[in-house]
Amino acid sequence: MQFFEFTEDQELLRKAVREFAEAEVAPKAAEWDEKDYCPMELFPMMGELGINGIFTPEEYGGAGMGHVERAICIEEISRYSAGLGIALMTHHLGMSSILDFGTEEQKKKYLPELCAGTKLCGLAVTEPGGGSDFSGQKTTAELVDGQWVLNGRKCFITNHHADVNVITAVTGVDERGRNQLGAFIVEKGTPGFGPGRKENKLGLRGSVTGDVILNEVKIPEGNILGKAGDGGKIGMAAIGEVGRAGMSAICVGILRGCVEEAVKFANERIVYGKPISKLQAVQFEIANIRTEYEAAKMLLYYAAGKKDAKLPATPDFAIAKYYSTEAAVRASKRTMDLMGGYGIINEYPVGRFLRDALASIPSGGTSHIQQLIIAGNTLSAFKA
Amino acid sequence: MKKIWVFAEYVNCTLDRVALELLTKAKELAAGLSGETEVAAVLLGSRARSACKVLAEYGAEKIYLAESEELGLYNPMLYAPIITNLVKREDPDIFLFGATAIGSELGPTVAAQLKTGVAAHCVDLRINEKEQLVANVPSFGGKILGEILCPDTRPQMASVKPGIFVQGEPEEKEPNIIEEDVRGIKTEGLPLKAITLEKKEIVGVPLEKAEIVFCGGYGLGCKENWEKLEKLATMLGGAAACTRPVVDEGWAPGEHVMVGTSGKSIRPKAYVGFGISGATHHICGMKDSGLIISINKDDKAAVFEVSDAGAAADLNKVLDQLIAKLS
Amino acid sequence: MALKIVVCIKPVPDPDYYDKVSIDPVTKRITREGIPTIINPVDKNGIEAALKLKAQYGGKVTVLTMAPPNATENLKEALAMGADEAVLLSDRAFGGADTLATSYTLAKGIEKLEEYDIIFCGTESADGATAQVSSQLGEWLGIPHLWNVYNIEAQSEESFKVKTKVENGFMEWEIKLPCLLGVARELNKPRFISAMGIIKAKNKPVTVWGKEDLEAEEERLGLGGSPTKAGAIFTPDLKRKGEMLTGTAEEIAETIIEKLRAAGVNIPTKGEGCSIEGGAQG
Repeated sequence: MQFFEFTEDQELLRKAVREFAEAEVAPKAAEWDEKDYCPMELFPMMGELGINGIFTPEEYGGAGMGHVERAICIEEISRYSAGLGIALMTHHLGMSSILDFGTEEQKKKYLPELCAGTKLCGLAVTEPGGGSDFSGQKTTAELVDGQWVLNGRKCFITNHHADVNVITAVTGVDERGRNQLGAFIVEKGTPGFGPGRKENKLGLRGSVTGDVILNEVKIPEGNILGKAGDGGKIGMAAIGEVGRAGMSAICVGILRGCVEEAVKFANERIVYGKPISKLQAVQFEIANIRTEYEAAKMLLYYAAGKKDAKLPATPDFAIAKYYSTEAAVRASKRTMDLMGGYGIINEYPVGRFLRDALASIPSGGTSHIQQLIIAGNTLSAFKA
Repeated sequence: MKKIWVFAEYVNCTLDRVALELLTKAKELAAGLSGETEVAAVLLGSRARSACKVLAEYGAEKIYLAESEELGLYNPMLYAPIITNLVKREDPDIFLFGATAIGSELGPTVAAQLKTGVAAHCVDLRINEKEQLVANVPSFGGKILGEILCPDTRPQMASVKPGIFVQGEPEEKEPNIIEEDVRGIKTEGLPLKAITLEKKEIVGVPLEKAEIVFCGGYGLGCKENWEKLEKLATMLGGAAACTRPVVDEGWAPGEHVMVGTSGKSIRPKAYVGFGISGATHHICGMKDSGLIISINKDDKAAVFEVSDAGAAADLNKVLDQLIAKLS
Repeated sequence: MALKIVVCIKPVPDPDYYDKVSIDPVTKRITREGIPTIINPVDKNGIEAALKLKAQYGGKVTVLTMAPPNATENLKEALAMGADEAVLLSDRAFGGADTLATSYTLAKGIEKLEEYDIIFCGTESADGATAQVSSQLGEWLGIPHLWNVYNIEAQSEESFKVKTKVENGFMEWEIKLPCLLGVARELNKPRFISAMGIIKAKNKPVTVWGKEDLEAEEERLGLGGSPTKAGAIFTPDLKRKGEMLTGTAEEIAETIIEKLRAAGVNIPTKGEGCSIEGGAQG
């Protein structure tokens, strides 16, 4: 076993992103949440910092780092705004599909602008009929006269206003009668394509989530990622690793927020002449919050490190995602308890932390879905 | 005979009043030294002679005057060598500079030429039992005070921000001027040339002279509230002041109204602060105020500990009430 | 023209934590445990100024610091911002230096770099805040120097037009190269570090020089070369009674006015039929 520590470069990256987050994100996070405003103006800035293209190779305009570094970026931003965290993480999600499954031409065409943050990326899989029932989706793609024609409706899509959208659709059935999926790149402004209703979310506000409408949307034949039939694999790869890593990183950010807010409050709040941090009952809560944070952090960075080492990490991301989202809910509730009446006052961010943590559970598969994945893996991996 | 010198900054035909504060302190320090001690001022400028009398009245027994058209605008490459030569000739024991924009550059420059030490931004000066100058200087934004001595080299130099020491009472006196021959100096050929000096007219009462100061912190929240502070200040013949973030946010007009370790030090009769958290670097600039009242919605704000009175209240409402009651 | 630019930086304890600095009652030393060391904030404005000039005229930016060995971390950060090379002056003999000995050591480091056109320093360090090193460094090097610079305009290869802050105004200067500029925070907004910058910094050189590498007079270095000596340290006691006022905003405002009046502030009494009283007070 090697000692687990971040490299000097990773520590410097964390410092750099933290400085950015403290200057540009922290002061406005509460307002974005209140107004449900997505700060698109920060994407070009994040582009300059290399955050958008953190794991995209340099030849496509990225920084050429990996998924540990990506998790660092998302954690630091989500420490102050989990809403911006998920907008960024979804941007990465769509980009990862293009990077992993796109042709050289597709990568050269789309990735540089997405890295620069002059364009926003999204990934649309979920439909009203269900998110996790991949093959049951109703959106169709039909090849007509050398063009793909897409029809259908996607829902709960974060970044549904994106410029570059990766969209899954049924292209046909295989020999056993099961739906075959394709993944397509659809650009904003394509006739018949556009965002539908926008949801009013409990948490992760400041990211835009809603429907994507496809009505006789015609795109060039070359806009398919991989080939017809690869859509399931592409969607699963993005969500299963990049998506769950992102959600886990968001919650690790929330957890660190809980630790820092709890410590600040416990040290500053004076009751009966001394700070409440001197009280054992408060110390127990602090210990619990800290432990939740450290555990979630270890799981996340372990899984991300595995992915960077090109090892299969889907179960690890499921574990990290399951644990960190639930831990963020528990820890933000504990932080609220510790703060007494102040906890529910919106001038303190902890109420937002709790809402953001709760809203993180369904993205990338609910806790129940993660449990099924974890159980499935465990039952086969630990078979005597 | 021991000698204590004060640099008198004369800019735009105006003597900076920190020189008078320093002369007052110099007299006090002289009293702590055994034997005869002379307090003198060093004055450079063009047509600066008119400032000699006031320097004498505040305690300068001698005024070393270097007068030349070339010295009209401050230039360290002209000023520093004149002062350095003067020091080498007269060998003063103590040399005090105001930590103004000019003094903060000139003091260390002269010290480097003389290879002696400067205690920077002193908040107190005293003479110890060995008859050495002991300077108290703040560090870590004023959180820590440390003593600085300059035991082996002379002069023992120190810089002091305006407003730290109290200016004494003048006594009628004729100045004893020692004129320096600076006919030979010229800017021509120097690698550094001062082109202009521009100063804004100060409207109303200058912050350092105000008896009542209304001060705003980041908690003000908006420019409108800053304007309310200005209104209150005008109503009472006082001044409005602020902390660093208020300048950074662009609510207040600039650093000239900023109080703290990197801004001004003030000692008004009364100080009323709104939305100030109580960070040490601000407190250091206002701690000598006669009365300190703080309003902050956060009842845990550190500022209350250093206030005579405080209210955990909505500053918007208190500001409006004050304006209503005073107009 | 290609400019050779040197930026002097200082690693300092992060000023955001200064309220946590205290004096250990036993050892009588300043405790700064757990406070991260960062590049002195205004020194980053110096780095930014250098990078801007380089972008405009080409050349090379060298960052220089005198600090303990772990300062390579801060130098790496400067390299990640975009500086080309870094030099760390580090030796036990440099320890305990005041501003005169510090500026002397920096000058010796710069002289070893051979050529330079411009040197940038921050106006002051956040921890000691003496604001003296930049002017004294200029003196040791024997070049023109200005402090509190908030505007720089390159005129030609030989001279710059520069503005410095003075109380309620500014001075404008013409300064010939080589020169030293002590820059103020208003000069610019330092850039954030980018991930790409971190990767590029990997291949940039960090040189460490000790006493032996510099042509320095031993007696001018460190504590021994410092004319000033530190005496006792203490924390100022600023506590006041902190009486808390309660009631409505109106009641609070009334109490404040009463207290101001009691403190000797001239407060005109409100109009209506009180002109005599008002006159007496006003």
